[in-house]
Amino acid sequence: MPEHFEAGPTPEDKKRILKERAAKLARAPEKEGAAGSLEILEITLAGERYGLESLYVREVYPLKSFTPVPCTPAFVLGVVNIRGQILPVIDIGKFFDLPHRELTELSRVVVLRSGAAEFGLLADEVTGVRLVAPGEIQASLHAVTGIRAEYLKGVTGDSLAVLDAVRILADKALVIDEEVAG
Amino acid sequence: MTREEEFLERLRATFRVEAGEILSSISAGLIELEKRPSPARQAELLEVVYRSAHSLKGAARAVSLNAIEALCQAMENIFSALKRGEAQASPAVFDSLHAAADLIRPLALAPAGALQPEEQTKIQAMENRLADAVSGKPQREPPPPAAAPDVPPEVPFPVPRETAAASAGSGGIHAETVRIPMSKLDALVLKAEELISAKLSARLRAAEMRKLKAIFGAWAAQWDKAAPALRKAARGIEAGGRTASGEGAGAAPGRPGDFFEWNSRFAKSLEERLDAMKRAAEEDSRSTGGMVDDLLGDIKEVMMLPFSSALETFPRLVRDIAREQGKLADLTIEGGEIEIDKRVLQLIKDPLSHLVRNCIDHGLETPESRRGKGKPEKGSLKIAVSQIDSGRVEVLVSDDGKGIDAGQVKASAVKYGILSGEEAGALSDRDAIDLIFKSGVSTSPLITELSGRGLGLAIVRENAEKLGGTAAVETSAGGTLFRLVLPLSIATFRGITLEAGGRAFIVPTKNVAKIISVSKDAIKSVENRETILFNSRAVSLARLADVLELPAAAGAGEGGSLSVMLLGADGGYMAFVIDRVLAEDEVLFKNLGRQFARVRNIAGATVVGSGLVVPILNVADLMKSARKYSVAAAARPAAEAGRPELQKQSVLVVEDSITARTLMVNILESAGYGVVSAVDGVDGLVKFGGGDFDIIVTDIAMPNMNGFDLTAKIREGKKRPDIPIVIVTGLESPEDKRRGIEAGASAYIVKSSFDQSNLLEVIKRLI
Repeated sequence: MPEHFEAGPTPEDKKRILKERAAKLARAPEKEGAAGSLEILEITLAGERYGLESLYVREVYPLKSFTPVPCTPAFVLGVVNIRGQILPVIDIGKFFDLPHRELTELSRVVVLRSGAAEFGLLADEVTGVRLVAPGEIQASLHAVTGIRAEYLKGVTGDSLAVLDAVRILADKALVIDEEVAG
Repeated sequence: MTREEEFLERLRATFRVEAGEILSSISAGLIELEKRPSPARQAELLEVVYRSAHSLKGAARAVSLNAIEALCQAMENIFSALKRGEAQASPAVFDSLHAAADLIRPLALAPAGALQPEEQTKIQAMENRLADAVSGKPQREPPPPAAAPDVPPEVPFPVPRETAAASAGSGGIHAETVRIPMSKLDALVLKAEELISAKLSARLRAAEMRKLKAIFGAWAAQWDKAAPALRKAARGIEAGGRTASGEGAGAAPGRPGDFFEWNSRFAKSLEERLDAMKRAAEEDSRSTGGMVDDLLGDIKEVMMLPFSSALETFPRLVRDIAREQGKLADLTIEGGEIEIDKRVLQLIKDPLSHLVRNCIDHGLETPESRRGKGKPEKGSLKIAVSQIDSGRVEVLVSDDGKGIDAGQVKASAVKYGILSGEEAGALSDRDAIDLIFKSGVSTSPLITELSGRGLGLAIVRENAEKLGGTAAVETSAGGTLFRLVLPLSIATFRGITLEAGGRAFIVPTKNVAKIISVSKDAIKSVENRETILFNSRAVSLARLADVLELPAAAGAGEGGSLSVMLLGADGGYMAFVIDRVLAEDEVLFKNLGRQFARVRNIAGATVVGSGLVVPILNVADLMKSARKYSVAAAARPAAEAGRPELQKQSVLVVEDSITARTLMVNILESAGYGVVSAVDGVDGLVKFGGGDFDIIVTDIAMPNMNGFDLTAKIREGKKRPDIPIVIVTGLESPEDKRRGIEAGASAYIVKSSFDQSNLLEVIKRLI
């Protein structure tokens, strides 16, 4: 039935189809860069990958030199000078009792900030940034890592443990406030 | 984040700033209104707070914060009823209004998000309270006409008022100003301060050039001396070996005599260039130094804020504390317009509020007792700021209360082991009063959450001294006067860089009495402590690396003599063995940041010329640590030089709420205490009988037996009636506190201010 073929879709149909297609195409990117997807900074601690919400990461700074501060707990690496600001650096691996790693050229200070709380976390390496849909982070039922569940925000589909930056920043155990007993 | 969301977020940021300002203006207005100024002034103030509430309502609506909008509406209703004279401005109404402002503040500052159910309940309750505040009291009494006609209609707190007036658009001259977030200025200041290291390294380069020039000069002098003889010898060689030369290296001086002349000319030109470079380096150092100093000076100007900006919350603070204690107090502020470095203000704000708390808590008497003494019922507090010279201000905080009892201070100091009985006896009253600045001394018989923990005043002096200022107190039966002298801006100080345990540290030069070399034989051992003689007095000696808990550096202590630094603070002296002294330089004090609120023995840090961070030592702490260390060192093997372990002390927690109980147990366990918990007073008493505890922490409201009864039972009992008991409670009233004292509690902490540092601090103080 050649007539039928020649007739094809009517102009109205064509318009409708094109519109539908356009709508589909237009929606796609919206879905991806979508509202609410989380940007996660991937770091390495004691050979394992962890994530940190980049919302709370002020900057990442190569650990060039640091000054140890005496009379502080072992999890305090020391202080660094970042553009004139003196910033404490916490060896979070040591705080979590993870196996010790030597400092290397890849060692990074991840400066976390939320409200007034601000300090650097020592990471063995920073491997990159990726986007994660918020639904993808699930509370882990059993500990997948050596880090206590209270410090974890959750675990992604490919079992990347995302640290709870807000919880860590607010943790009083990481605040040094000691007086010499009279 | 979509564009709309981004926009809304930006809008909210703006709103947060605005809301903060409006709320401050409302608070200031309420405080002044409550003082009942003249009717004209009252009308004016009502208009301002009414308009402020109205603007905040509009702003809240714009960022769809409906809860704030509703609260503002309710406040606005009250203000408008007051304006029409349809409601009476009773203290209860003011309480409700203040409470509403307090509720709005966190709501306004919180990041966007849905409200928690408990927040919603609170907001609903507040709306009802505000509605009742006017409708529930239908007495149509107009605001009392000039209840206190002698109160001048002047505004005691000029600055908040000025900003309030400006934001309410009541006219006034607007200078050309820009609004810049403080965070941006802070970054600018940090960068400018970093230039100090550029200045220091330029100075270092110039000094090196001078040294090089001097070295060259020394060589040139030798050369000049030897030159005639050498010239002669060269000519001689030339004459003798004429046949051997001939085809030299073209332009290069082939013959010894020529080479000699060329060499002289070369050295001469080298010297000239060296000299020119030296002068250029000196010039650079001077101009860089000048520019940096200039820039820092201007930056300091920018950082100057009126003193009153730190005192905005004080009238409210005074009102609240006084009400809580059943006292009456009036605060006046003088010299609030004096401008001072924001960083000085930041460091001194908390100490000041502590002083004010202290004045109300310990200084002012109750209205009855004041009446008895023939004083006005209302106590008066005063903060007076004045500039004493181009670089310093004096802040006087005074009250007209009962003064400080030197005998009580001595008794407290003896009780906490700060002084022995004989020492206390020998102390003059003046020196005894000064003891209140030592941590651990408090004249308050009961520890409350306000003050009297014996730490506050120590922090006042510490912060003042950290800034290079002083803190002192004068007292008489007619009141107490605290005198703070503060620098107008953060200045650099002279510091000596030294090495101990192989690491660099800085001590303020003012704390260094002397640096000496001591022969090892000169060290004497007295009662397990090492001492050396200085000015024919025995001074205790400690190794700085040990005190700082550093591993002993390799090679330390070799050789026959030691470098010893004699350090002084609080009138005492102590000698410390160091590796060596490195330099003395200008030092800019920097904090270690919020995370390191207080580190033992370390006051702060500075950035040196090379960009490295060097810790600044806290000399007062060092001396305290050294005293402890020299005793401890004798008692324990040298190998375990780690931090002294917290002895496992045992706490009994009595609390019926499982949440509160779990929280407390957690806090205490993570602080290293052994904890046993009980679910009510009866259970607590049973567990107390069956265990061995160092301290008891108890709630008040509990089934079966409450905290007061438990405390009383233990105090009456046979087993350890003296055990410290801390009452932690949600109740906050003077009566409860009094009941707590009567029952025999050692400390009383209100849950609203219940954070772990508070509890831990109190426990640490009591056991």
